[in-house]
Amino acid sequence: MNMIPDFKSIATKSPWIYRINAGSCNGCDVEMATTALIPRYDIERLGCQYCGSPRHADIVLISGPLTTKVMQAALVVFNEIPDPKVTVAVGVCPISGGIFRESYSVKAPIDQYFPVDVNVPGCPPRPQAIIEGVAKAIEIWRERM
Amino acid sequence: MNFLQLFAHNLTQGPFTDPFPFQPAPTAKRFRGKIEFDPETCEGCRKCEKVCPAGAIRFTKTDKGLEFDCWHDSCVFCGNCEFHCPTNAIHQTQDWHLAHVQQDKYSMVAHGVIPSHECPSCGKPALFTAAPANKVKGFSEAEIAEFRALCPKCRGKYLRDRKSR
Repeated sequence: MNMIPDFKSIATKSPWIYRINAGSCNGCDVEMATTALIPRYDIERLGCQYCGSPRHADIVLISGPLTTKVMQAALVVFNEIPDPKVTVAVGVCPISGGIFRESYSVKAPIDQYFPVDVNVPGCPPRPQAIIEGVAKAIEIWRERM
Repeated sequence: MNFLQLFAHNLTQGPFTDPFPFQPAPTAKRFRGKIEFDPETCEGCRKCEKVCPAGAIRFTKTDKGLEFDCWHDSCVFCGNCEFHCPTNAIHQTQDWHLAHVQQDKYSMVAHGVIPSHECPSCGKPALFTAAPANKVKGFSEAEIAEFRALCPKCRGKYLRDRKSR
């Protein structure tokens, strides 16, 4: 049992991030990819790394206005992420619907379906803004661990 | 660039990585960021509300006057409002620090009030909006201040009187 506090101090150093595209136009996804994969922005300095499986994730980045068609799939993937997880809504679409607001095929804002913790508005937000959002998410995540 | 060149560059210039979360990030001069509203120079034409593609801008009439609200969580930073504003009352700043926690979601608003008052000429309630630039060409500052305080009807009368003078 003594190992658990040690494990917590080690594990809270590097949250893995996972992104869900809930019907995004790919603008925010490109910015999210840029944030992590290009040495200029390099989010790995904060210990973050994209992972391929939702079961390894700690921080979820959701982009897109949550279209009706993708909603069930997005919920299934979201529920596979183990607790404690932190949800970051990237772009104005998941936060309020942006220009797609009040459309018949869009379920935005997503905080009706997902427990959102941090919002990063922008269309798309610049990579530094996403880094700022992830930094806020890491703080929340450390509190929850 | 071969390895040695890259190595020499990194030794002299430092790494390419932006030091952002630990130091301020470079921002372009014409960066389209957070909206800022100045009720002093607003004409109250509501053009920005009409051209906003995301419906982020809203004007409401209250007892205080005409209230302006722009929700940053819906704004797509297209710059339409700034482009169409006849008096440059609304403009975009370079500020992009908009990431916030969920509790602050509905307080991310640029707010401004154009106060209402009584028209000094007819006594009816009027908005204290800025004078349209094309109508007050050649006016002295005292005349502009006088014109500004009037209600729309009295403004027309004022212009006609001034022409006939």
